[in-house]
Amino acid sequence: MPFRNNRLPGEIESDEQGKTPEERRALDQLFSVTYEELRRLASSVKRSDPGATLSPTTMVNEAWVKLAKSPGFASTSRLHFKRIAARAMRQVLVEAARRRNAFKRGGGEGVTVIVFDESQAQTASCGQDLLALDTALEELARIQPRQAMMVESRFFGGLDITETAALLEVSEATILRDWRAAKAWLAHELRRVQ
Amino acid sequence: MCGADTVCRVLVLDLLDVEIRVKKADKSVRSTLGHGVTMDSTRWERIQTLFHEVADLPEPEQRALLQSSCADDHGLMADVLALLEEDARGASLLDRDLAQVAHDVLDETLPTSLPFKEFGPYRIKQALGEGGMGVVYLAERTDLGSLVAIKLLRDAWLSPARRERFASEQRTLAQLTHPSIARLYDADTLDDGTPWFVMEYVDGVPLTDYCVEHACSIEERLHLFRAVCEAVQYAHQHAVIHRDLKPSNILVKADGTIRLLDFGIAKQLESLETSTGKTDQTMTGLRLMTPAYAAPEQVRGDRVGVHTDVYSLGVILYELLAGELPFDLSKLTPGEAEAMIVGQDPEKPATVAKRITHRPGANIPSVSKAAWADLDVLCLTAMHKDTQRRYPSVEALIRDIDHYLKGEPLEARPDTFRYRLGKFVRRNSRAVSAAVVVFTIVVGLVVFFTVRLAKARNAALEEAARTQRIQKFMMNLFQGGDESVGPGDSMRVVTILDRGVQEAESLNSDPKVQAELYQTLGTIYDQLGKFDRADSLLRSAVDQRKSLFGADSTEVAESLVALGQLRSDQAQYDEAEQLIRQGLEMTKRHLPPRHPRVGRALYALGEVLVNEGKYDQGIQVLDEAVQIQSAPGGVPADLAETLTELANAQFYAGHLDVSNSLNLRVVAMDRQLYGERHPNVAEDLINLGAIQTEWGNYATTERYYRQALDIIQGFYGKDHPETASVMTLLGRSLNNQGRFNESADMLR
Repeated sequence: MPFRNNRLPGEIESDEQGKTPEERRALDQLFSVTYEELRRLASSVKRSDPGATLSPTTMVNEAWVKLAKSPGFASTSRLHFKRIAARAMRQVLVEAARRRNAFKRGGGEGVTVIVFDESQAQTASCGQDLLALDTALEELARIQPRQAMMVESRFFGGLDITETAALLEVSEATILRDWRAAKAWLAHELRRVQ
Repeated sequence: MCGADTVCRVLVLDLLDVEIRVKKADKSVRSTLGHGVTMDSTRWERIQTLFHEVADLPEPEQRALLQSSCADDHGLMADVLALLEEDARGASLLDRDLAQVAHDVLDETLPTSLPFKEFGPYRIKQALGEGGMGVVYLAERTDLGSLVAIKLLRDAWLSPARRERFASEQRTLAQLTHPSIARLYDADTLDDGTPWFVMEYVDGVPLTDYCVEHACSIEERLHLFRAVCEAVQYAHQHAVIHRDLKPSNILVKADGTIRLLDFGIAKQLESLETSTGKTDQTMTGLRLMTPAYAAPEQVRGDRVGVHTDVYSLGVILYELLAGELPFDLSKLTPGEAEAMIVGQDPEKPATVAKRITHRPGANIPSVSKAAWADLDVLCLTAMHKDTQRRYPSVEALIRDIDHYLKGEPLEARPDTFRYRLGKFVRRNSRAVSAAVVVFTIVVGLVVFFTVRLAKARNAALEEAARTQRIQKFMMNLFQGGDESVGPGDSMRVVTILDRGVQEAESLNSDPKVQAELYQTLGTIYDQLGKFDRADSLLRSAVDQRKSLFGADSTEVAESLVALGQLRSDQAQYDEAEQLIRQGLEMTKRHLPPRHPRVGRALYALGEVLVNEGKYDQGIQVLDEAVQIQSAPGGVPADLAETLTELANAQFYAGHLDVSNSLNLRVVAMDRQLYGERHPNVAEDLINLGAIQTEWGNYATTERYYRQALDIIQGFYGKDHPETASVMTLLGRSLNNQGRFNESADMLR
């Protein structure tokens, strides 16, 4: 097992202390599965048929199907699993964006960059936006944690209004109002960073 | 879902608490909303309240209302206006599809650039493609100029599980050296910890595309497919299950040879057999295979094995023959797709091929109707949903491909088991119960060896191989064509047994299993009256067990008893008695006095004595057997058998009362053991009837016989000799009652 205890630089780390090996394994699996689901989600965009685009809802459901029987999640309810998966989706995407961003800014020490196709070197600033959103969500979590959790669950986890309301134990009307206000605020934050 | 919600809560919070601590750019961000005032929840509440109050009003009214509400707090008003502006625009990241975001962030297009110093002596030329885990590049070995493929784990940082799986693929490839499997050359790790390895570069076309492009005939397709099977079989022999077989992982090179690629989710049979349930579950839980080629047990998350690859090969064969996948999963949700894979039978490839041929551009080679029938069977047996009815190994699949190519009958038959057994039960004589015995015994053997060998050290693989061999033995026993013999005879037990003996003889490498099977088959031949065959098998069993376990052992004792029973059936009572007594003494030396085997040997001895006419001695021995067998831990079926023999002995000795009560006990036992309508129950009823006849109670006799007839007729059918013999008995009892007309009807 050459890599088992050999952390990579900047690797997503879980808080090792106080976690049973089982919990650590569960999270590790969750990130693996989430990553692969996100890749599928991403590749669905490439297909010409717009109807073929998958939704985060499907992805999170898939992740549930894959992980529900594993020991780490056996006692987790489906709704709470979705909540955790949404968090994982956010973390995987943000970390991927951060790494690619760092790389584009000139890479690490002594890194050589080979570019095969210049036309593709410029990608959308989506990654930047995502990093800004991540920061703004942290700020929102400080002011109004419920709204931050709502945005995370809805945007990254594809939870619908009903599920989000059930998760946060508020009415659907509240979710609708919160969503509108939080979205406007986050949009403003993103624009400011640009 | 969650019995106690609080428990769930704890777990969830706990997991969320495992916050990912990425090394973030140390950049504190402060909201611009709040113009000079620190944004806190109170202020945010106030902003939101105003925002919701005015959001749906026309713009002029918004301003008017805000001006009156905010009074002098210009900052507050500016904040709300900023929100209103964003609300109206609706063009932030949050309005985009997450799929699009993922697409941009994860560089879905092939990576355009690579951060690295060097890949050893290899120079990257271009990206070739990517799988679930890694990216594959075409590279050139600078010193040799040869082309290779380099596979690199993308986003290695993400989790140890991914890195472990990548390493596992590398280890798997390292142990496989086969001309049809892409070879591993080299492996290393980049400075940033990203693992990579170097493989044979395969310049080829996916199997299905190749067949279409070259308009391959069915024979050509089968030859290519057979080559794939050989590669998979080779992997199985090295205890590797591929688990993700699909045409895109099978390339055909310009020279027509094939290469099997991507052991990315392959599994070591060894670890599969020895790993704890937990790890196993984790692995199957990940379920990373491609749904279209995934076996039902994979979809369900059940245990996978060689049969899983057999299924995927079946789907590939289906696609090659029919020109289409068996199930169209493209428009289904994952749940629907799963349900379809698990529950729906595919159309016959022949039917699909026929339909497709009419389409423009279709490219399905034509074969005869009879050939299609065989191809259907071949393909659908490989992808049978029930793992027990599938080809038990890739080797068996290859054998049937060869049979097809040589124009020989296939070993597989349409839905073999149920069909055959059904046909068998309907058409065959007393052989039925013997066949049920064969089946039960063989299944018992499989269980026995599985349990026993599982205990042995390092035996996991041996076990798998052995279980497979016994399963194969079973399959070969119960299927395979001798339709030429004629429908009525096609499943004669003797035919099955003859095949069994051939199979057993080929188990040279496994003398224990072989001896076990010789013993079993010999006993069954004996029961069927095929004494010559029984004799040679049972003597082989004795000899083999003597050399395996020593001349004085329980195993040899068991074989001696069986041989003695054969001699008894051959009316060689002296030798029979001598052999059985020898076996009995030997059993008693090695086992506790009340061991089931002692009981069985006593039963055999009692039976010989009864056959010899030594009823009193027989009764004494059988009584002893009954005592042992009725103790707790005894085998009820053994007891029922002994009691039947004892009842017979008492009957012959003239003790009708004792015999009657024994038979009543036996019929109750048999009903419980075998069910109300089993031939054993009918036999007991006939015995009871015979006693009533002795007593002159013909009406009671008639009642017993009618019940027996009902069972026998239901079991064997109306025109069966067994049915006829019970009718004869019934006719006689009617005759005894003077009901001659009815009797004549019955005896006609």
